[in-house]
Amino acid sequence: MTRFLLRRLLLAVPTLFGVTAVVFATVALVPGDPVAAFLGPGAPPEARRELTERLGLDEPLPVRYVDWLGHALNGDLGTSVAGQRPVADLLLPALGQTLTLTAAAFLLVLLGGVALGALGALRPRGPGGRISGALSTLAVSAPQYSVALLLIAVFAVGLRWLPAGGTNDAFGPGGPADLARHLVLPAVAAALVPLGLTARVFRAALGTVLAGELADSLRARGLRPAAVLRHCVHNASPALLTIGGLQLAYLLEGVVFVETLFAWPGVGRLLYDALTARDLPLVQGGVLVVAVAFVGVNILVDAAHAAIDPRVRV
Amino acid sequence: MAARLLARRNLGLVVPGALAVLLVLLALAAPLLAPYDPAAGRLADRLLDPGSPGHPLGTDGQGRDLLSRLLWAGRASLTGGLVPVTVATVAGTLLGIAAGLGGRFTEQALLRALDVLYAFPGVLLAIAIASLLTPGLGATVLALSVVLTPAVARVAFTETRRIRTAEYLEAARVSGAGWGALVLRQVAPVVAPVVLVYASSLVGLAVVYAAGLSFLGLGVAPPTAEWGAMLDELRPALLTHPWVAVLPALVILAVSVVFNTLGEALRTRVGDAAAQLPRPVPARAARAPKQVSR
Repeated sequence: MTRFLLRRLLLAVPTLFGVTAVVFATVALVPGDPVAAFLGPGAPPEARRELTERLGLDEPLPVRYVDWLGHALNGDLGTSVAGQRPVADLLLPALGQTLTLTAAAFLLVLLGGVALGALGALRPRGPGGRISGALSTLAVSAPQYSVALLLIAVFAVGLRWLPAGGTNDAFGPGGPADLARHLVLPAVAAALVPLGLTARVFRAALGTVLAGELADSLRARGLRPAAVLRHCVHNASPALLTIGGLQLAYLLEGVVFVETLFAWPGVGRLLYDALTARDLPLVQGGVLVVAVAFVGVNILVDAAHAAIDPRVRV
Repeated sequence: MAARLLARRNLGLVVPGALAVLLVLLALAAPLLAPYDPAAGRLADRLLDPGSPGHPLGTDGQGRDLLSRLLWAGRASLTGGLVPVTVATVAGTLLGIAAGLGGRFTEQALLRALDVLYAFPGVLLAIAIASLLTPGLGATVLALSVVLTPAVARVAFTETRRIRTAEYLEAARVSGAGWGALVLRQVAPVVAPVVLVYASSLVGLAVVYAAGLSFLGLGVAPPTAEWGAMLDELRPALLTHPWVAVLPALVILAVSVVFNTLGEALRTRVGDAAAQLPRPVPARAARAPKQVSR
């Protein structure tokens, strides 16, 4: 197991290098001259040369990359142009908010995916199967921003059941209940696409188990259908882990839209604000943080998979 | 012909297919169908609700007719979805075949490079690329082409890998076929069907991504109508005129459902067709039985 983990971590190193290189390239290849932008068009050549040297812009690209990477590893992601604050200081609290939202959405993905998948697997050709298939196609096709707007229109503006956006500290005046009220709509909007995909995979996995020898022998022993289903769900769960982990990673990409529309103060919202303000250091920082989290989640999924299923380790 | 198309077992493919064609036609015919100029508004008619006289779907914050804008927007939005898929299909197929037929070094170099792009969540990679470019339809198309290519290349690579040791390839090589002839005549016909079916399942995703980029201000610039950009423009009206504000959201959702259903129908259909082939088919027998050690 340790060997597997070490190898998996080693394999992630080149990927992380590539990811950071792509993010760096987007910093370095920005059209326009940063020196001219800083000093204005009429600056004397000496001042230009001095600033170019101070920013290290006269170094070759690979040197600048290593330099940038060193800073990034130390938590220095540059300074936000619009906010005039270190990018890391802005990103860190936002990351906490994003993880709260992602965790809530992930819970919905698992519960909904299993329920919808099981509905389809039990009677694949019956009405349950057709409903499950149609609903998962609808969920998979539902863009986060469309769902977010529709949910706000119906549940916040129309019915006035839930708040249209924002959030509260769990320890604030409203307590955890108020946080939950703010979480429901954004979590649903973020969860739908991954939920649909999870339902499809779980439906296929559970269907195979239900049609196999395990289910036959359980039935032959006289177990009630509910008990047979319980055992078969257990048997189909490794598939759920793989796809669920992938979906956890993909939840991270939907947050840009969901957080923006629900005014949720996370990394995605920050990224949207940075994009509208053309605040490139903040854009790079946000993309880097989410991409690294994405790679990290994938490693965790592989590790969990290896822990359950020894065949993966070889 | 008509009867066969409308047979019950074909409806799953024919209905979404017809709807997809209809969507493209509506976008193409926007100048003929749109009742108003999509860019000209009357401030006196601001934010009319759907069903208002003269404006069946209402108007936006500048008094522009929403039906006309939604029709015109289909041009930019569908272009933003369909062109990247086409580019990615061609580029991905070529890269995948090159990796599959090339030597060990070519294979590893291409696959690792694609892995890095794969390691990014799709939307973020698109954002990172598009944020460097001047906002516009070109930025959307370029960014999404880069995002979609690795996935297509994967599929093409797997297919090429499967046939790389096939005897008919060997025979073609021995009889002096050059690289071009080998790829075009022998490999492409095997790889193409699988890749095309896969690519068709990407269209819905690409339309959603393209509208998303415009929503973030990275795509088509105002006043050009585009579904994602309209979503952003109508956002301020959400609390006062929710039914106007959700219109573009509903359109994007519907378009996404149509293309995804079509892609899925194609996939199951081709899967079925492959499973229903009678066992000894010459075309199949020609393929390599299993991975032969090199």
